[in-house]
Amino acid sequence: MSSPATSAAFGPDGVRAALVVLAAGDGRRAEHHTNKVLLPLAGRRVFTWSIRWARLLPEITHTVLVVRDEDRDVVQEVLAREVEPPAVQVVTGGDTRHESELEALTALAPGIDAGEIDVVVIHDAARPLAHTGLFADVIAAAAEHGGAIPVRHQRHLTASRDDDRPPPSVVAVQTPQAFLARPLLDAYVRAKEDEFVGTDTASCIERYTDLPVWCIPGDAGNIKITFPEDLFLAERLLAKAHWDLSDGTSPHRERPHLRDLRHTGEHP
Amino acid sequence: MTIEHAQLYCETCETVTNHELHYAGRLLESVQCSVCQTQFELSQRALLPAYVKDLEGRIVSKPRRMLHRAARDPLAFARQLPGAILRQPRKFVREFWSLIRR
Repeated sequence: MSSPATSAAFGPDGVRAALVVLAAGDGRRAEHHTNKVLLPLAGRRVFTWSIRWARLLPEITHTVLVVRDEDRDVVQEVLAREVEPPAVQVVTGGDTRHESELEALTALAPGIDAGEIDVVVIHDAARPLAHTGLFADVIAAAAEHGGAIPVRHQRHLTASRDDDRPPPSVVAVQTPQAFLARPLLDAYVRAKEDEFVGTDTASCIERYTDLPVWCIPGDAGNIKITFPEDLFLAERLLAKAHWDLSDGTSPHRERPHLRDLRHTGEHP
Repeated sequence: MTIEHAQLYCETCETVTNHELHYAGRLLESVQCSVCQTQFELSQRALLPAYVKDLEGRIVSKPRRMLHRAARDPLAFARQLPGAILRQPRKFVREFWSLIRR
């Protein structure tokens, strides 16, 4: 295991956040298969896109990537090629999402105990289109309220039978999700003692803490790669955004057109 | 053309199955379920403009990507550069061929 990677600059309010990217998939599937987050997507691997946009924020001082043991070598190669320093700490995930989160939090525990991490942001690597602003929003909301999750209202849902009544308000929950680091770690330690396995981070927080979990507006473009069509859609959405989801924070703004270079006198 | 394999959810099989993915350059060209053979592909009409736009992005970002590589490991970069330059024409011919032969 590599040592925790830290950077010196903090966020505008002095908030220091750790980014946890879950790339282990569902370890319960026994057969060997290629992890979809290792697929190429517009010149990068799926899982490095979100790391790139999140780490543009000065708040992100630590990064932990949770992978399957069999993907470890490939992941290290990709990180060396596609992700700029500081180094990403790679840990092996468990059989469930909950166990993978626990592994990541265990890796971050020394930093949390030392008071170096205020907020933990947990993100699914299969959502490569989460933009920098969304990470900033969940970190700010978590620092203020305790927890924050991006949601999308599902107003188009209807009952499939006449006697069913759909709930008045249904939301789809996305990642990144952010929580205050100390209560989050404590909740996972208690969940381990109780052998509780949550479906997502918020379920564990709700069971073991009184922290309010704040809902912030999600993003329709923050799709999760699940179906084959999602890869085509992600490619098109990235091209439409000129491969730049930095919300203007990138020091290397993409100039996607040759004519832009002509205007500045640069040559490709 | 590059071929990759990954497990994705197939709506025909109603489960996660192995899929074969074909790329033209860095652009996804087609995805096929290895179990039921259901295939999704970008139409020729959509693929060519998408490829041209993507190629433009690749060309524009190339100097920055090369600089990053050189900064990360200057020796390896210098050692691999001649071979990489020599491989480019063949690589593009293969990409163009995979696009026009559809």
